Amino acid sequence: MALHHRCDHLLAAAETQLQTGAWPSMVAAAEGLIAAMLEHFRVEEEQLFPQLAEVFQAAASPIEVMCSEHAQMRALLEDLGAAVEAHDQGACTGILETLHFLVQQHNYKEETVLYPMADGALREAGVRIAAQLSAE
Amino acid sequence: MLNAAGLSLDQAPPIQVPFSFFRLAPLFALLAGAVLLWDGEVVLVSRWLAPALAVTHLLALGFLTQVMCGALFQMLPVLAGAPVPQVVWVGRVTQLTLVLGCLALSWGLYSGGRASLMLGGSLLGLGLTTFVVAVGIALTRARGVPQTLRAMRFALAGLVMALVLGLVLLAGMLGARITGLAGWVDLHLSWALLGWVGMLIIGVGYQVVPMFHVTPAYPRWFTRMAAPLVLAALVASTGLVALGKAGLAGWALLPAVLVLAAFAMVTVNLQRRRERPRVDTTLLYWWSSMGLILISAGLWVLDGPAELLGVLLLVGVGVGLPTGMLLKIMSFLSWFHLQHPQVVARRFDVRFPHMQVFMPEGLARIQFAVFTLMLVLLTLAGLSSGSPWGAYLARGGGAAVMAGALLLVWMQWGCYRTYQSISRQLG
Ligand SMILES: [Fe+2]
Ligand SMILES: [Fe+2]
Repeated sequence: MALHHRCDHLLAAAETQLQTGAWPSMVAAAEGLIAAMLEHFRVEEEQLFPQLAEVFQAAASPIEVMCSEHAQMRALLEDLGAAVEAHDQGACTGILETLHFLVQQHNYKEETVLYPMADGALREAGVRIAAQLSAE
Repeated sequence: MLNAAGLSLDQAPPIQVPFSFFRLAPLFALLAGAVLLWDGEVVLVSRWLAPALAVTHLLALGFLTQVMCGALFQMLPVLAGAPVPQVVWVGRVTQLTLVLGCLALSWGLYSGGRASLMLGGSLLGLGLTTFVVAVGIALTRARGVPQTLRAMRFALAGLVMALVLGLVLLAGMLGARITGLAGWVDLHLSWALLGWVGMLIIGVGYQVVPMFHVTPAYPRWFTRMAAPLVLAALVASTGLVALGKAGLAGWALLPAVLVLAAFAMVTVNLQRRRERPRVDTTLLYWWSSMGLILISAGLWVLDGPAELLGVLLLVGVGVGLPTGMLLKIMSFLSWFHLQHPQVVARRFDVRFPHMQVFMPEGLARIQFAVFTLMLVLLTLAGLSSGSPWGAYLARGGGAAVMAGALLLVWMQWGCYRTYQSISRQLG
């Protein structure tokens, strides 16, 4: 949860830099955002989801959906990288807007369905994962 | 055990379901504008006159409720993890009966035709019942933030009460004897505005305001009290009307009005602390709506003219806020559904434009400007109703309502065409 909020803040920060039109700080903000999101996907896909799937079979289908949305967001992050490199303000605005909405509905689904599921099913292992998630 | 079956990409309804609601809705605003243009000299003189009743129902049912139904069918799977059962069929039945029922009812109210009134009442009864049952089933299975779900359930109760009271009043128009008619009319209006619309704005706002612009969440003290207070006030008011104490029944609504005013203030305050810097048209619509709710609450306490309140709430908030939301929802849905085949294939080789091309911000600004002009004209018309100036202003306002609705139709058409042309390119 806290991590989702961190990504929200980073995205908003990138938008703020974009509005000021200062490209060097925009590049830095976008890089920070991209790195944080990719890292969060990695933790979910390599640690949280496999452990959840192991103890809770019914989670397989939602996990599948979440992973495909990760792939969607990775594609958008690539677009963002390219648009920032090209100093294309219009494209950056559109990509960040799209990414924002995609992330919001994705996180909402995780927070209301998957994380509570993980909470219940992985009560013990959950403590360990939570520690890993918050240690970043 | 937790039910995981609810979460799959397929649970989102086909894009046609919400889009058909969204795209038909502005035509009712267009009709309402036409009535204002045609009957400008009388519409805002008294809320009891036939054209005023017709305009009210065209906007409240044809525009507002239609958009809200489409949005709920779309949003429930995402926000509440609760797909609406048989959504395609339920959507079709709901929309067909809502649209025809609204037309028949409005024509009946306008012309006094008994057959139209009867037809309109039965169709609306059928359509809204279908809607309430389907969404009600979804909401019983819903997961998610309890306060949002509670507000949505109360909103549904508000719709049921508004419908039942509306049907009772219709029976009265058709000859049944109702004592203390004015009290029952006010009650119908209160359940519709505060119960259905107000509660839904509150419930959706809890989710959408922090989500859209990255703001802090609504404070606990507010989300705990707001919806129950509104419901309690409405129930108290209903009891008092039933006991024949119509005067007191009005004042019983005070807590509900204050809750809505507080919601407006809290919302603007949260949005002031937002992290996303851009002021987009959706945000402008939120601000104008929240401002209008505050002004209306003040007017209500001061016992201001009902016709002016009607303009501010129904045209200002009831048309404005859904319009602002449509700009975002339709753009995102278009993009999201276009991505679907690539998501299934897990290949993102085809890159296509992002959200902003579906509803260009420049056009949205113009649409908002027309909306503002219309609101100013109709407010002035409401203030000077009865004078010759009032009629001109109301007609001008009607023309502006039509222009705003046409612009929205145009933007939606553009969005849909872009969606289709990209969809074709993708094969
Ligand atoms: Fe995720
Ligand atoms: Fe996540």
